[in-house]
Amino acid sequence: MMLAAALRKEILLQWRTRSQMMAVFVFGAASLLLFSFAVGPNAEMLRTFSAGFLWLGLLLSSTLTLSESFHSEMENRALEGLLLLPSDPRALYYGKAIANWLQLTILGCALVPVMVVLYDAGTTQLLKLLLIILLGTAGLSAPGTLYAAMTAQVRAKQTLLPLLLFPLIVPALLASVKATSLVILGDPMQQSRSWIALLGAFDLIYWSLCGLLYGRVVEE
Amino acid sequence: MTGGVVVGGWGFVIAAYTVTAIGFLIYGVMLITKLRDEQSRAAADGDKQ
Amino acid sequence: MRKAYGFIVLGVVLLLVGSYVGLFVAPAEEYMGQVQRIMYVHVPTAWNWMLAVLFAFGSSIAFLFTANTKWDARQEAGLEVATLFAFLLCCQGSIWAKPTWGVWWDWDPRLTSVAVLLFAFLGILALRQFVDDPQRRAVWSAVATIIASVDLPIVYYSVKWWNSLHQQQSNPNTVSSQFHLPLRVNAFGVLFLMIGFIMLRTRLANYRLAREMAMPPVVSADQAGELA
Repeated sequence: MMLAAALRKEILLQWRTRSQMMAVFVFGAASLLLFSFAVGPNAEMLRTFSAGFLWLGLLLSSTLTLSESFHSEMENRALEGLLLLPSDPRALYYGKAIANWLQLTILGCALVPVMVVLYDAGTTQLLKLLLIILLGTAGLSAPGTLYAAMTAQVRAKQTLLPLLLFPLIVPALLASVKATSLVILGDPMQQSRSWIALLGAFDLIYWSLCGLLYGRVVEE
Repeated sequence: MTGGVVVGGWGFVIAAYTVTAIGFLIYGVMLITKLRDEQSRAAADGDKQ
Repeated sequence: MRKAYGFIVLGVVLLLVGSYVGLFVAPAEEYMGQVQRIMYVHVPTAWNWMLAVLFAFGSSIAFLFTANTKWDARQEAGLEVATLFAFLLCCQGSIWAKPTWGVWWDWDPRLTSVAVLLFAFLGILALRQFVDDPQRRAVWSAVATIIASVDLPIVYYSVKWWNSLHQQQSNPNTVSSQFHLPLRVNAFGVLFLMIGFIMLRTRLANYRLAREMAMPPVVSADQAGELA
């Protein structure tokens, strides 16, 4: 099972570079701090926008983790080496996308306590919050991994990845922020289900489309 | 803002039409200039060979 | 070549006629007053923007299936023209919004989707600038355009939903029957202008591609050792 092997390789790689994860977490937490300075010490306002800050912080951090995820493939032309293996390149894509997804989920969960403390934005519906984080980061990871594969091989990769990714994930961002906001601030009309459904649909479409196109992106 | 009447506004109308016209004009001019450049370059390369 | 210029001239003439009618002959609208006249350029630009996006999308798919670089040239043209139109749409929409709603931007789902796709296409144009290998550039650009185009309806529906929670006013962008003539004339005007632009821009892209293929690849001394 190529996918299992690819996934195992990715997770191993991530485990070996876990100190980088720490640095990205600090980056994310620092962003959340900066947002509160940008807005001002208005507790009510901070709480109202806490979901937005969380997801913006997560999105900005993702540009770091996603571009790093192809770092090892760029050394010693490992990407070409992997292509020579008699396996479906899609296995490599999905392995990496899933690993990135896991990484972003962990990051998201780690930033939640920061959000709770800085913005007084707690919630008891932790399972629902976890579901939203899972679906939202999946929406970031699928196109993000594809574009990371592309931009890893060009100049100005630091700028190109966010430039390409940000417009694309607008629906995922909208839905994640809205759903998270409802979980934190209250959801009298049970709207969060619809936003979660939108996230699910977005994920389905993009996980299939990007997997389909990945082969063309890395072929020689 | 329903039921009211928007008064005046010619300035905005002119602005919108002007922006559109200028956009098309600038793009068209740039396009034709670059095309002429490429064509003369292709002709020059053709002569060289 | 002459066909392209012909389209452009025809387009400009139609636009002049249509705009004249729209500006000076058609009556002012009941509530919107003179500002309604902006629709005579805004709606035609919007319709043709959609066509340009469709063209870029179709060219991308065609390129991935045929590997014929002519489709890459067409895609590049479609991308650029669609970006121009999207930018114009945002300007027109903003100029319309200020007297109508009092703000420069009112998060109308249609206009917001255009803005998102504007940024997406700008990103793809930037990608094309930074990739030197023509084959790779074409494949990646095609992939990115497909992804962005598929995203467009999703963006539209999510923004529509997102905004409906706050939107109290409706956007009366529909045009009643007495105003159809300048709208139709301008729609064809912009259409012919767009076709002309795309034809010329495709030609430009083809020339540049030919020049790129003709040049020997730049190879440095140490790379040359590797290639051998």
